[in-house]
Parts: sequence; structure tokens; C-alpha cells
Amino acid sequence: MRVKQIKAIALLTFKQALGGKAVYGIILGAFFCSAITIGLAGFFMHDIDKVAIDFTLSFISFCSLILLFFVGANLILNDINKKTIYFILSKPFSRQEYIIGKLAGLIFFCTTGIIIFSIAGFITIIIIKYMYSAYFKDFIWSLFFTAIYAHILMVALLNSIILFFSTITFNSFLILISSITTYIVGQTIEEIYFYIKNQTSIIPLSYFVENTINAMYYIAPNLALFDLKTNAAHCIPISKTYILSITFYAVTYIILITTASCIIFSKRDLP
Amino acid sequence: MIKINSVTKNFKSGIKKSLIKAVNELSFNIHKNKTLGIIGPNGAGKTSLLKMILGFIKPDKGFIEINEKSPMDYKSRGKTGYLPENPYYYDNLTLNELFLFSFQITKTNKYDFKKRADYLLKKTGLLSVRKAKLSSYSKGMLQKAGICLALINNPDLIIFDEPTSGLDPIARKILSDIILDLKNKNKTIIICSHILNDIEKLCDQIIIMADGKIKAKYLKKDLVKNKTDLEQVFIETVM
Repeated sequence: MRVKQIKAIALLTFKQALGGKAVYGIILGAFFCSAITIGLAGFFMHDIDKVAIDFTLSFISFCSLILLFFVGANLILNDINKKTIYFILSKPFSRQEYIIGKLAGLIFFCTTGIIIFSIAGFITIIIIKYMYSAYFKDFIWSLFFTAIYAHILMVALLNSIILFFSTITFNSFLILISSITTYIVGQTIEEIYFYIKNQTSIIPLSYFVENTINAMYYIAPNLALFDLKTNAAHCIPISKTYILSITFYAVTYIILITTASCIIFSKRDLP
Repeated sequence: MIKINSVTKNFKSGIKKSLIKAVNELSFNIHKNKTLGIIGPNGAGKTSLLKMILGFIKPDKGFIEINEKSPMDYKSRGKTGYLPENPYYYDNLTLNELFLFSFQITKTNKYDFKKRADYLLKKTGLLSVRKAKLSSYSKGMLQKAGICLALINNPDLIIFDEPTSGLDPIARKILSDIILDLKNKNKTIIICSHILNDIEKLCDQIIIMADGKIKAKYLKKDLVKNKTDLEQVFIETVM
């Protein structure tokens, strides 16, 4: 695999994504959410700091997920449906370079989006902090940025999952549904797993159900690991080991799923 | 040289997944520096064959070799240019940006690349719109942009799928001139077209395909020698 080729596709993907009109709508939406947070913060008497941080991180998360699911998910599919993929693959690119280049471009695009949303979030917090400085005595900026970093990792992981589904099916609806389902499963699987494990003594589960849950727990990405909003809002410290662990988890998962995507895509006929 | 050996490609179609034979036990060679024309009715398997040569789809049976390399190997496309039937590029990008993309993967120096880009833009009349978004291009302009992008890396093998479709007579003349120029530079060219005049004018060898098979092969010099009308031959062969 050649870095020059991957870089060229990544840059093309980034430019392609930036051209979508939806991007501007989402960015405007983010600044609108930011303004609403400033307005709403005053309605909470005691926990203004916690509410403001939680709201801000939530809108960063929400906007970046919309960007990912509705802009990012269509990029590869557009290449296939509009047959622009022929333009790329008629040049000396391997299918693996195409997949990795697309992933790199998507991650770069989504990370840029998250950074823009974070700037809006940062300004929001600064304004609220200035308005209600008495409530922000315990607030730690590093926790706020760590929560954003963890979110970037989660979005990168979701990017690789979207790409994986894009190599399995060329149907946009199926890609979107599969990706959103994976996100929901990934966010809740840990809670469900432990809840069911605790309940098995009271309500016995069938062999099939128990094994399916066990398999899902290990196969589906555990996205709840990347949700550090509560830590940032309640000033609960995050250890460096934890940050390193989730980084390692995300990178490993991305490598494994991208390898699978490359294998599947190299065997597929283009429509 | 391109070697096509007993190549078969089937597609599944409809709810019942009935099998359609797009290409059926096809064997022939395309020699270096020759211009091959492939003609045939709709569904003859022409585009499927081109897609297999470019590595977009894999044959179910048989094999294709381009300079002894599989089309699935990216090295086989190191010096290949392709103009699809309906060229479509990223709407929000400009021709300049797509040139930049092509430049990033080439070994040519910047000066030579720019010179070639300018030559192609002048030839196709797109010089003044190189910085305009492709969404503002007409169908004919997109076809011309496709020609520029197919030829920008100075390929040795050029594949044209219905190159003159959607072009006005002047643009068709420009494209014919470009292809003749490529011929004079000893490039290997494959042209798939419904427009028999173009094929007759530009190609050294002509293959008539129908039902995924080669129905007839002609050398242009034989057609000229025998004063054979290609349209007549085509109708007689296919009907």
C-alpha cells in the first residue's frame, strides 16, 4: 500500500464532503444550539456549570453524528451510484488503497467538523462562565477536551463501521439503518449485558439468547466507553491509563474492521 | 498486449435471480499500438468486457492479462486512461482540482504535467472553464472533461466507451482528431461505440459482438479493399 495514493484519495474525499450543502446547515445548526445553551443555562438555579457542559458536549456529539450519518455515509455510496469510482479505480489504485483513503478522508472530515463544533462549544462555555462565574469554581477544561477527544475516537470508529457496511451493501438505506443500529447497540450493550447477567439467576435465559448476547457483547463496539460527558460535567477525573486504553481499543477495532472491509471490497464486482 | 482467454461473465437479474450471460467464452488478443473497435447491439457484452479489462468486475471463468498482469492488479492500470459512457465526476469540484488529484499520483514533474493539462484543455476548448465547478458543465462539456482526465497521465492504453455519445458534430470532430493523434503516437486504443462511422474511420481492427460472443472480426484494410459497407456487415452479422 502506498501512502501517496491513500493521501490523494483522502484529500479528494475531504473536498467532496466539504462541497455538500448539508454541511453548512449542520454547522449553522451547531451555532444555533450553542446560542440556545447560553439562553437555557440561566433557567437552572444550582447546577448551571453541569447543565452548560452537558448541553454543550451533547450538541457537539449530536451534530457530529448527524454529519457522520447523513454526509459521511453517502460519500462512498455516491461514488458507486454516480460511478465516480470508475474515475478513481481506472487509475493505478488498489481497492485497499481506495478503502483506506476513503476512511482517512472521512475521519479527517468528521474530525474537522467536531473541531468546529468544539470551537462553538468552547465559546459557549466561556460566555456562560463569564455570566455565571460563581458556578464554575470546580470546572476543569482538560476534562472538557478529554471528553471531546474520546468523542473523536468514537466517531472515527463509527466511520470504519459505516465503511464496512458500505462494502457489504450498495443500498444507502441499509447502510444508514445498519450504522445507526450499531451505534445504538454499541451505546447500550454493556448495560444490557450486565443487567441480563444479573437477572439470569431469577429468570433463566435460553441457551440461544444467552449466547447471542455474549456474542454481541464481544463483537459490537462498546461505544459507551467513549462517553465522558458525565466526567466532564461532574468533574470526575479520568486516568491516563483509561484514555490510553480507549485509544488502543478504538485503533485496534478500526484496523480489524478496515481489514475486513478491504477483503470484502477487493472481492466485489462494481455495479 | 491484452490477452483475453475463454472469458465468461454472468449476471443475476430480477427476483428469480435468473442468469444472464453477458460475456460467453470470449477469446482474443489486443495487440500493442493497435486501435480496436468493438461494436454490437445493446446488451452484447461490450461494456462488461471493458469493465473486466479495467478490473471493475471479475470474470466467472477464464482470465484477462494486460502485459502479463491481472486487471485486478493496480500495476496493470499504471498507464491506462478510461472514458466511461456517461462520465460523471464530483459536482462540487473543478477540473483543476481533478487534475491535481491525477498529478498527485503521477511521476511526471509539475511543469510537464501543467503543459499537458493546458494542451488538452486547449484542444477540448475547456481552458476558460477549468476553474468552474463541474456542476455547471453541460453533458458535452463533461464528456470533454472526461477525455482530458482520461488522457492527462499520458496513458499507453486508452479505453473509450461510447466516446461520442452526447457530443455535437464539432465536439465529435475534436474527439476524432484526438484519437487520430493518439493513433499516430502508437497508443493502444479500444473503442466501444454504436456509431459505425467513427469505428470505421478510427479503428484498425473491428470486432462485432452479440450475445456475449464475437460474431465477426475484420481488419479495416480488408473492408476498404473489398469496399465493404460496415453498416451492412453489422446488420447481416447481428440479425
